[in-house]
Amino acid sequence: MTELVDVILGGTFHAAVLFLVAAGLQLVFGVQKLVNLACGSFYALGAYFGITAVGLALKLGLPPLLFFPVLILAGLAIGLVGLPIERVLRTIYRRDESYQLLLTFGFLLMFQDVFRYIWGATPRTMDNVYLVYGTANVLGVRVPTYNLLVIAASIAIAVGLGYFLERTKTGRIVRATAENRDMAEGLGVNASKIFALVFTVGCMLGTVGGALVVPSGAASLDMAVELVVESFAVVVIGGLGSMRGAIVGALIVGLMRAASISLMPEMEMLSVYLVVVLVLIVRPAGLFGKATA
Amino acid sequence: MKLTRRDFSKLAGTGILAAAAPGIFAPALAQNKPLRIGIIAPRSGAAGTAGECGIRAVQWAVERLNKDSGIAGRKIDLVIEEETNPKDTIERLRRLILQEKVDAIQGLISTGVSLGVAPVAEEEQALVVMWDGTTQDGVKEMLPNPKYVFRSTDNECEAVMGSLLAVKHFKGKFKRVAGINPDYSYGRNNWEAFRQILTRYGIEAEYVAEQWPKVGTMDLTSHIAALKAAKPDLIFSSMLFADLPVFMKQGHAAGLFDGVKMVLPAAGWQINQLKKEFTPEGIIFGHNTLYFDLPQASPLQKAFVQDYMDKYKEAPHWEADRAYFAMATYKAGVEAAQKAAGKWPTQEQVAEAIPGLEVESLGGKGRFRKDKIAEQVFYQGPSTNTNKYDFPTLASVDVFEASQLQKPPGADFWEWIKTAKMPV
Amino acid sequence: MPSVDIASPAVPRAMPRVSGLWVLLALLAIMALLPFVASPYVLLLMLPFMGYGIALLGFNLLFGTTGLLSFGHAMFLGIGAYTAAALTSKFGVKSFELLLLAAALGSGLVSIVTGLLCVRYTRIFFGMLTLAFGMLFHSFLFKFYAVTGGDQGMRVLRPLLLGMEWRGGKTAFLTGPFYYYSLVLFALLGLAMWRITQSPFGLHLKAIRENAGKAAYVGVQIFRMRLAAFVISAVYGGIGGTILAVTTGLADPELAYWTHSGNLVFMAVLGGSGTFAGPAIGALVFVLLQDFVMSLTQYWRFVMGGVLVLLVVFLPQGLSGAVSLLFNRRNGGR
Repeated sequence: MTELVDVILGGTFHAAVLFLVAAGLQLVFGVQKLVNLACGSFYALGAYFGITAVGLALKLGLPPLLFFPVLILAGLAIGLVGLPIERVLRTIYRRDESYQLLLTFGFLLMFQDVFRYIWGATPRTMDNVYLVYGTANVLGVRVPTYNLLVIAASIAIAVGLGYFLERTKTGRIVRATAENRDMAEGLGVNASKIFALVFTVGCMLGTVGGALVVPSGAASLDMAVELVVESFAVVVIGGLGSMRGAIVGALIVGLMRAASISLMPEMEMLSVYLVVVLVLIVRPAGLFGKATA
Repeated sequence: MKLTRRDFSKLAGTGILAAAAPGIFAPALAQNKPLRIGIIAPRSGAAGTAGECGIRAVQWAVERLNKDSGIAGRKIDLVIEEETNPKDTIERLRRLILQEKVDAIQGLISTGVSLGVAPVAEEEQALVVMWDGTTQDGVKEMLPNPKYVFRSTDNECEAVMGSLLAVKHFKGKFKRVAGINPDYSYGRNNWEAFRQILTRYGIEAEYVAEQWPKVGTMDLTSHIAALKAAKPDLIFSSMLFADLPVFMKQGHAAGLFDGVKMVLPAAGWQINQLKKEFTPEGIIFGHNTLYFDLPQASPLQKAFVQDYMDKYKEAPHWEADRAYFAMATYKAGVEAAQKAAGKWPTQEQVAEAIPGLEVESLGGKGRFRKDKIAEQVFYQGPSTNTNKYDFPTLASVDVFEASQLQKPPGADFWEWIKTAKMPV
Repeated sequence: MPSVDIASPAVPRAMPRVSGLWVLLALLAIMALLPFVASPYVLLLMLPFMGYGIALLGFNLLFGTTGLLSFGHAMFLGIGAYTAAALTSKFGVKSFELLLLAAALGSGLVSIVTGLLCVRYTRIFFGMLTLAFGMLFHSFLFKFYAVTGGDQGMRVLRPLLLGMEWRGGKTAFLTGPFYYYSLVLFALLGLAMWRITQSPFGLHLKAIRENAGKAAYVGVQIFRMRLAAFVISAVYGGIGGTILAVTTGLADPELAYWTHSGNLVFMAVLGGSGTFAGPAIGALVFVLLQDFVMSLTQYWRFVMGGVLVLLVVFLPQGLSGAVSLLFNRRNGGR
């Protein structure tokens, strides 16, 4: 029983973070039809910047208990780098997608050295705040309260995002732009503004994801490239462009990994790829995708 | 002052004297251009931190040497290239040899890369002294008898020592053993070596869990849950990249370490990241060939550690020692070969001179064996958190010589480990 | 701000001009003379160029001609490299011709299986599926280290060319016989690719790229044609990978990592995917550029990424686009 709880808690924590990055990918793809390979860089950027921000805040006398909101704010703030990057991407929206993909690949390469220049090659860890919220006991399993907070934050963000897209006026405009950009523009929507907004929000999802994960781990130079692969697995399983796909895909990848770690450690990453291939064979567009040739 | 003829001949006389005693007045004319030494080390990616530490140490060494008389009178210029994947690194190696025309090459940390590089260096007849990256399998199969390539001490030494110390300090206090090791040959070999040694000492351990996270995995929550479910008394882990501090942090949070003995033979690489708050005491903590806080450290080590910590605000680890050792050995080799040949030696002559020369490295005395594998001094011991740093130091230091931990030349590691006379 | 197009649309407008083949052959002719003037190091750099160049000829049949962007093409280079490694160091097969054949077969077979799944989709979906397969292969190489040597890879021993053992050191071998052998191979494969792009099959592929629906309407069997293009490009990739592996002497998993696939796309765009010889030129420039930048600064990733960004924004047709733009201006054209 505790093993099952362990698997679920571990898998969900991982899924929570994966979801944020994948949601950023999905949002940007859904609206801008752009696959952002630099999503991994945003994730790493959030992690590094989160360490710096919390370190600074603690030095300025912030009570450690308040580090969680600081972290989220830091993630949101650094997510604003999405704006200038979108300005560059904007120059090629009318071009073939492959060029957009390649452009984000260029950013991915550049970011690696930016991190190294600013934060050095040594992996960075955050001052000890991981356990300031103590540990909780979930059905006999000891788990850091912080992990539960991250899961809760991720759910809150998912709900908030859903509310924004479904219920607000701007959200409806975003969806309309996603359906048909030209039509939306014809109706007086400023698509450029919407694109900038969407890309920045997508970027923030990644940076917040990185910021949230780092208290429990470390920021390192290879985290960007590695994460891209995993979030792509999520997106392929869930279906490109679908928010529900991001949730389900992240849960599948997270839980699958956790389960194989506890049952067959050898299969850890391979099991994820096998699910990917299986989904591709059975439902090539992903579980919630509506892609066609 | 006017220079008379007599003065002049006197001066010439000193010149002749200087030429006759090359050891004192190093070669003056033809050889006064600086020696060019190529360094290949990772600067980015998982091993970037190790490479950085090594580069800093070799720069420190060169600065000191250049203030003095350099190597046999010649100053040293470093040409630094980045170690990346095997393919690109081999191209960089060729660049150093063919284009930069360096006099020697030092560096390399990853075994995978070094296995690709070594045959190329042999083909090109280029002297290479490696810092690290001697994991068993590949080495024995790929480079039986190198002429120009000098390899570091076996990567398994630290696991052998950690295992021996586990026996020494923990025997009788554990039964259920779990392992979490990086998923590549280094991790596999370390885990296997550990198990073999326990068997040698008649410890009937029960192996309750094995985990193989990929290098660079930053979320180990599930691995930790699986380990915890297995209820081990002792955990052995040869993780050594950023995943080690992550493991300690998350493991601590999950209460994995309560009452559990730990053996971390390669923890020294991440010393600065292993904060006290989440690192329990009493870990068998491996510092490999350089323990920065060694009480009886040599003046050389003390000077280095102080400079390093002042400048970079962190502790150096064993890669610094390896880098220094490579440079010191090369210097000794060149100077010995020059003495023997009476002129500036070829790379081949240097390579022939190096084996057997004992040099002082940061962490202690070391030398290369006839088979061009290094022998250095190893430091490990149970850790303590009572110190002035924010990471653990050693409560007591066990010091072993490589000859006690390393298979003899030509032996098969797995045969050796079954039969060798162990120092504990 | 309205969206501006600085350059003309990225989808290549022109058919490969007749000169495409000549550009390539002229390049190869220059390379044939290179050993008389260049240093061994430069010659050694030309070998990865030839490996990449061949792979990119195939890659561009898929990308430039058919309009399918693969982000997992490094897998086929990996298959070629590991085929060479397994055959030379495990099975004692030394004949380079056999290695090439096996690499072509191996990558061809794998591409049929993956292609059946991938070519049902185009655009970004195709890119992501190929990436997924590439990473699956990478983790296979990494995980099954009993077979593949894991992270340490597998050695590639020096092969026999035309059944002959060549004397001399490895550098002499690589810059001498192997250099010319690869060059001839490059030329032959270039000619073959030219024939392919000019054949009815090639025209079908172009029609598919321009408008798949219309092409289907006039009777082009889209699925089969795409699959064929995929398989051919994989075979070229396998052969290119074999040359790379012999040059480095090692096959390692990083060859199949997704960033390596990214580099291939980088090269294709750098040279200009709209022309026949462009991607090969891109490979040449990429190899030289990376070599130069890496010895210039430790922050070479930043520079290379920056070059890519500038290229995509300002010069989407790559170097060949720039050249033709210049040429048109001089002729009074716009």
